[in-house]
Amino acid sequence: MKGPDVVWYLCVAAFLFCTGALGVLIRRSPLIVLLSLEIMLNGANLALIAFSRHYAQGDGQIFALTVMAVAASEVVVGLGLIVAIARRKLDLDVDKLSTLRG
Amino acid sequence: MIVAAWICLLSPLVAAFLITLGWNRLSRRGAGYLATLSVAVSFVAAVVAFVDLLGDKPDQRYHASTLWSWLTAGQYDFGLRIVVDPLSVFMMLVVSGVGMLIVLYSIGYMEGDNEERRYFAYMALFVFSMLLLVQAGNLLILLVGWGLVGLSSYLLIGFWHDRPPAIAAAKKAFVMNAIGDATMALALFLLIQRTGSLNFENVFTQPIHGSWAINLIALGLLGGAVAKSAQLPLHTWLPDAMEGPTPVSALIHAATMVTAGVYLIVRTAPIFEQAPKVLELAAGLGAITIVVAGVIALVQVDIKRVIAYSTMSQIGYMFMAAGLGAYPNAMFHLMTHAFFKALLFMAAGLVIHALAGEQDMRRMGGLRRLLPFTFYATLIGSLSLAGIPPFAGFFSKDSILAAALDHGWYGELLWVAGMVGTFLTGLYAFRMLFIVFWGEPSGFVREHLMARSHAHAREGHLDHDGHEQHMHSGEGPLSMTSTVAVLAVLTVIGGFLQFAGVWTPLTNWLDPVARPLVEASGTQEAVSSILAVLLGLGGIAVAWFMYGARTTAAPRVAWAQNVLEHKFYFDEAYDFAFYRPAVFLAEGLGRWVERPLVIGSVRELVRGVGLAGRDTGRLQTGLVRTYVLAIAASLAVLAIVFVAVR
Repeated sequence: MKGPDVVWYLCVAAFLFCTGALGVLIRRSPLIVLLSLEIMLNGANLALIAFSRHYAQGDGQIFALTVMAVAASEVVVGLGLIVAIARRKLDLDVDKLSTLRG
Repeated sequence: MIVAAWICLLSPLVAAFLITLGWNRLSRRGAGYLATLSVAVSFVAAVVAFVDLLGDKPDQRYHASTLWSWLTAGQYDFGLRIVVDPLSVFMMLVVSGVGMLIVLYSIGYMEGDNEERRYFAYMALFVFSMLLLVQAGNLLILLVGWGLVGLSSYLLIGFWHDRPPAIAAAKKAFVMNAIGDATMALALFLLIQRTGSLNFENVFTQPIHGSWAINLIALGLLGGAVAKSAQLPLHTWLPDAMEGPTPVSALIHAATMVTAGVYLIVRTAPIFEQAPKVLELAAGLGAITIVVAGVIALVQVDIKRVIAYSTMSQIGYMFMAAGLGAYPNAMFHLMTHAFFKALLFMAAGLVIHALAGEQDMRRMGGLRRLLPFTFYATLIGSLSLAGIPPFAGFFSKDSILAAALDHGWYGELLWVAGMVGTFLTGLYAFRMLFIVFWGEPSGFVREHLMARSHAHAREGHLDHDGHEQHMHSGEGPLSMTSTVAVLAVLTVIGGFLQFAGVWTPLTNWLDPVARPLVEASGTQEAVSSILAVLLGLGGIAVAWFMYGARTTAAPRVAWAQNVLEHKFYFDEAYDFAFYRPAVFLAEGLGRWVERPLVIGSVRELVRGVGLAGRDTGRLQTGLVRTYVLAIAASLAVLAIVFVAVR
């Protein structure tokens, strides 16, 4: 089974990661920040699987599965937090949610 | 025999524990009976051990028993070990026998005190400590008993813990004894280093090399003995210890504690004999104490303090005997002294009890007709103290003086001191007797003993001893008078145990353990006895003219009076030499070292940590996006560095 070279996969992965990182950095809605985080994780997953295929080893795939599980639980926690914030009628803006400052 | 010895040792300890654990479930009287019973069991066990030991051949009278290995350190191994030999059995008999009488006496004396149970628990502990001391089979266990005796004396002297003088006296006794404990411990370290063991048979049979080592060891042991036996210069705690209840004074002075020093010297005689100079020093200290204590006793006004100084003086005789190598004479005097000193203290206790806790002799007088039994008890005790035949003190004291004559010019010097002591003894003992019992009853006495109805009105007041006044018929409850009577009988007949040169069972009995170094001849015995009795009678006669018949006034020399009432300024000197500089040093260190260096540095440290925390806290903005940027930026830097370095 022949496909594109591993470099192409990595390019897509880097593009996805950077998109996600940019989203985390510039968006202020916590919902979108979470979403961008997911995109970053998927970029990383893609790179893992690409390398896994390149070296014909299963490790990368197993790692990608783990990352997915972590991502799922992280979303649960994050969404739970967002719902809790919304319920208290606070602004959904990460810049205003800064009560943990020193 | 070994079983009996263990029972003798542990019985008072068990009683102390039972009284402590039983607490309120045990009635106050019950605690007293339990303590008395336990010491009585000890006495019976001691008698059993004694009879068993009699069955052995004299040179086989040595039995050791180790319960378990108590302390192991490297190659050294010290067991919980006791020894049954003539000397320890002799001490067991004296300690438990006289101790039993004193504890029984306490039941009457302490009745009505708020904390009788605590008192009896301490008393039982005291007897246990002393038994451990005399039964110990190695010097380490002996030191343990030594320390426990110090502890229990501290607890008992300070028994009335709401009275500041009692607390101060207890502390003083403890500190003074701790000095002795320390020198003794140092001596034991040196002994371990030299002989590798502390068991009696190893330590005593192995010659110790190096004259400085043996002298240091002997000096350390002597330091312990001097502190415990209240000899000069570590004697100042003993008179103050009179703050404790009277039976405690009797126990400390007669059966336990102060005799421990004499026992130690006799027990470790093989070590001391290798250091003859130290042994002579012990005798010299004893002789000085005889005279100094005797002179101070002449001006005391507290009835118990007079007896306390007489104890110091009499222990001085024992030290003199032990230092001269006349060990059986020292032990003999220890025994007779236990009898008549317990008798004197308990008779004084009867007086104090009858007068609702008054101890000042100046307020007493004319008690002879009011308390006839007490008067005769005190008379017997005082005659014995002054060494008048046929009372016990005559036999034991005179044999010590005779032994002194057999020791060259040094011995003759000691002999003179002892003779002066005899005169002083007669004088101060009968000064006390005449002041307290002779003449017309004083107003104070009349108020307490003649007008019973008047005293009834005052019932319920707390008296000097802290317990409630209670009326009693006669001169005290049966538990008090009966024990005094027993001791009076012992004081009369106890001396016949040994008559120098004719009849010496005690010397023979102790011979396997402590063979005397001196042997007084018949002439020396006769000369000493006659002179001592004459001087004792002389002292009594002087006391009679001054305080009994009052035909001559007591000489008053202002400066001498002053010096004696300040007890030769020992307390003041120690205060000046040790206490003041220590306080000065502590205050100086506090001001110049602790406050700027220790407290100051800690304060700086606290300030620094606080500032650093505030500064780091400013980095924590709470803005998630800043954190993310920081992470991303640092990752980028890391990545660039990683690539560039590779």
